[in-house]
Amino acid sequence: MRHWLFSCKKITALISLSMDKELSLYQRMGIRFHLMMCVLCRRYRKQLFFIRSILDHDDSADDQPCKILPDDAHRRIKKKLDEEQE
Amino acid sequence: MVAADIQDHDAVKWLGLYGDALYRFAIIRVQDSFAAEDLVQETLLAADRSYENFSGKSTVRTWLTGILKHKIVDYYRRMKPEQGDENIEDFAYGMDDLFDKKERWKVKPGDWSGDPKNLFERKELMTIIYGCLAEMPGKMSTVYTMRELEGAETSEICEAFQIGENNCWVILYRARMLLRRCLEVNWFGGKKERS
Repeated sequence: MRHWLFSCKKITALISLSMDKELSLYQRMGIRFHLMMCVLCRRYRKQLFFIRSILDHDDSADDQPCKILPDDAHRRIKKKLDEEQE
Repeated sequence: MVAADIQDHDAVKWLGLYGDALYRFAIIRVQDSFAAEDLVQETLLAADRSYENFSGKSTVRTWLTGILKHKIVDYYRRMKPEQGDENIEDFAYGMDDLFDKKERWKVKPGDWSGDPKNLFERKELMTIIYGCLAEMPGKMSTVYTMRELEGAETSEICEAFQIGENNCWVILYRARMLLRRCLEVNWFGGKKERS
């Protein structure tokens, strides 16, 4: 059963990998088993998912409703886009 | 869902519909109205050129916001005085000191019990995240941004960079490690000192 004991370094890599692809049962069990015993890797996992949740919800542009794109900038950008399409 | 309709490819219309929202999004993050205007322009130009990449899975607004996030990271990078050209293979950067020889944590992850709760703190945290991303090697932060800010699949990223999928996962792993550490130092560490 020795190979069930992944190191912290390997577990951190596996946790990251789990955010990008489906892991095998063996890998998932390895993570679960390790996390039961290791508070540092538990923290690491929680923090990675916390960062992802912050980035996921970073669409809050509506809390400054008074700010609008100034007219001159609007015209300038429109001109650029029109040039681009020619 | 079919691919995006070609008739919706109208950057001037996007400017009218989403220009203000993009501008607000940018100005909160760069704190500079002129820079924010430029970022809106760059975003719309980039969107216009890459419309065929728009999958139609999200709304146009979400897609444009994704491109803008990318431009904001670039903006922070340009703010930095010197920036070498780094190799995509060169992602060993900053990783050496995190684990000991037995692969145990050397720099232990702290307790982030003070998660930002209110909007103000979340915005402050986002600014720090963009700063951290700008400090990463360029391609690493681009890969990470594509994955986490634009929600691309790793297979799409590999194709864009012509790298193997395994390489891509390693880069993402390193990026997450560095970002986590950077936030711990600059956000949670700073908060502890302030209180």
